[in-house]
Amino acid sequence: MMENEYLKRKKILLVDDEEELLDMVASILKEDGFVNIKTAGNVSEALAIADEFEPELAVLDVMLPDGDGFSLMQQLKGRRDYPVLFLTARGEDEDKFKGFGLGADDYVVKPFLPKELLFRIMAILRRSYKEENPLVRLKGSKIDFLRAEIVKDGEHITLTAKEYALLSALYRNAGRIVTIDALCEAAWGDNPYGYENSLMAHIRRIREKIEENPSKPVSLITVKGLGYKLIVEEK
Amino acid sequence: MKSILKLIRRFAGILLVSFILIMILNIIAVVKIASDQATGRSPWTTAVETAENLQKTENGYTLSEDMALELRKEEIWAVYIDDDTHKVVWHTENLPDDIPLEYSISEIAFLTRGYVKDYPTFTGGAEDGLVVLGYPKDRYWKEMYPSWDYYFIKNLPRTIFIVLVCNIALIFFIYMVTNMGILKTVKPIAEGIQALPMGDRVHVKEKGLLSELASKINRTSEILQSQKHQLKKKDTARANWIAGVSHDIRTPLSMVMGYASQLEQNCRLTEGERNKVAVILKQSEKMKKLISDLNLASKLEYNMQPVKTSRENVVALVRQVVVDFINMDIENRYSIEWVTEDTVTGCIANVDRELLKRAVCNLIQNCMNHNKNGCTIYVTVKKEKGECAICVEDDGVGVSDEQIEQLNHTPHYMVCDENTTTQRHGLGLLIVRQIMDSHGGETVIGHSVHGGFCVEMLLPSETVSNDFC
Repeated sequence: MMENEYLKRKKILLVDDEEELLDMVASILKEDGFVNIKTAGNVSEALAIADEFEPELAVLDVMLPDGDGFSLMQQLKGRRDYPVLFLTARGEDEDKFKGFGLGADDYVVKPFLPKELLFRIMAILRRSYKEENPLVRLKGSKIDFLRAEIVKDGEHITLTAKEYALLSALYRNAGRIVTIDALCEAAWGDNPYGYENSLMAHIRRIREKIEENPSKPVSLITVKGLGYKLIVEEK
Repeated sequence: MKSILKLIRRFAGILLVSFILIMILNIIAVVKIASDQATGRSPWTTAVETAENLQKTENGYTLSEDMALELRKEEIWAVYIDDDTHKVVWHTENLPDDIPLEYSISEIAFLTRGYVKDYPTFTGGAEDGLVVLGYPKDRYWKEMYPSWDYYFIKNLPRTIFIVLVCNIALIFFIYMVTNMGILKTVKPIAEGIQALPMGDRVHVKEKGLLSELASKINRTSEILQSQKHQLKKKDTARANWIAGVSHDIRTPLSMVMGYASQLEQNCRLTEGERNKVAVILKQSEKMKKLISDLNLASKLEYNMQPVKTSRENVVALVRQVVVDFINMDIENRYSIEWVTEDTVTGCIANVDRELLKRAVCNLIQNCMNHNKNGCTIYVTVKKEKGECAICVEDDGVGVSDEQIEQLNHTPHYMVCDENTTTQRHGLGLLIVRQIMDSHGGETVIGHSVHGGFCVEMLLPSETVSNDFC
């Protein structure tokens, strides 16, 4: 999406002991439009490059010749906080949980599809650097997440906290179905049971704010029984 | 230990019954012997009858013929002592020579209680005197001083009863003391045998009466432990081997997939070349899935996959998997229909989130793998009595009854303990079955009402009815 162009300029540090794999991931990223990429083959090299390069996203392997990716992440985050994605052959749940527990933003197990890696990197960047995010364009309106309001026909309509939480969850997965359960969880937290009717009411109110014709929605679509999907317009 | 108590009870019972039986038999025997003894006429009676049959005549005294014959037959001698003179005024012909013919009162008292010259004597009173019968020396033994304390006789029944009770108590005491010793020896043996099937290490002290048995149990335990260890070692080695191979293959496969994916989008390649690259990519993806499946299947099979259950809403979990598939299916070749009834909003079960999602994923993927030309996949979650039923079915090519029979009953090559040369089916269904087994659930394979293949997973659920978002 064109609106994500600024994200492609983010500085990415790739760390893996397999040089060929580093080359490949770098080429995948470059081909997709990323321009600031640096690679490192071990922990010490990664730390040295990080000091100078000041990456905005690190993609790390877990097993490195002079240490492990988990402690490298802690060292990197200790200097400056930025998102970290693990790209590793260790596919055990234990490893994943350890990575997430230590503060990783995502965990991709090899072998992976380049497309999946790109989607995940973009999702992390979008989440982490959304302050630079311009207005989100919908068919009949725009969402201004910074101000938590909808701009429709020049009019500014304020979003309530729940509406904001629901729209954020939908926008993070724009173009994809978000389940009823995930939306309830986004709005009502860890114990999201029993809010189905409330959710429908909130969705109706959001539609009144964002849709030109709320009874025939085109941006916030119902997928019967499963959930809802937010359709975002491209620039 | 229950069986040992039972054993004691049984022994005690047998002892009691034996005791009572012996008592009864003894009483019967005594009565029988005593009655045998009493079959002949009592010598006292004979004496009295002799006195009655002794008639005074002019010449002295005469005994009736019958009586005299009877006495002779029994080798009994008889004398008649006159009241006034204490002299013998009549006697039978067989009177031994050493028998005195005159008696003092004290001698008469003595012979009444006992003997005359070692002949047991019995007396019977006549009109003017006393008839004394003398039996052969070896015929009777006489108790000469029979006198009992009055209270002894009065209390005899109670005394007998107390003695009997004391006897029984004593026998029980002896039995218990000796048995306790045996029980003490048997107890560790019994505990050892009971612990053997649990698979724990068993050590019984090898001393006492049953030391040989204890040593055998210890040896059996050692053999079992060693076999268990060997089996575990083998299983761990196998699972580690699979895990190691799948780990090492991941990075090279990443590169194959990565470059193939880039090449696929390279417009400088001819269409034929791009098709070949697409095949490489597709097969690589299959390998990727196989690696992951193989790893999980081996871990589930050798119990190395931790199953971390938590209370989950199965409807929400399955819905998420379905949505993930819909979101991923870019080509739109497979439509997934969520046919769960609106009223079923929640079904709570204790499940491992990731494993259950994996099982549903495998089933949906299975429908796609076997219907290359596309199909509609129907996913239903039903709340039944004490169960969450997750059903994944399609309207695709389906399978024959024989194939269903085979899927339901033939073990997969991964878990088959016989030599197998044919690969029967992929790992997807095996993993589903293993996941259901680890949750105490069930997998049912059959035909779909929509015409294709149908797999139903039945999970035990909480019975409390809840309505959830």
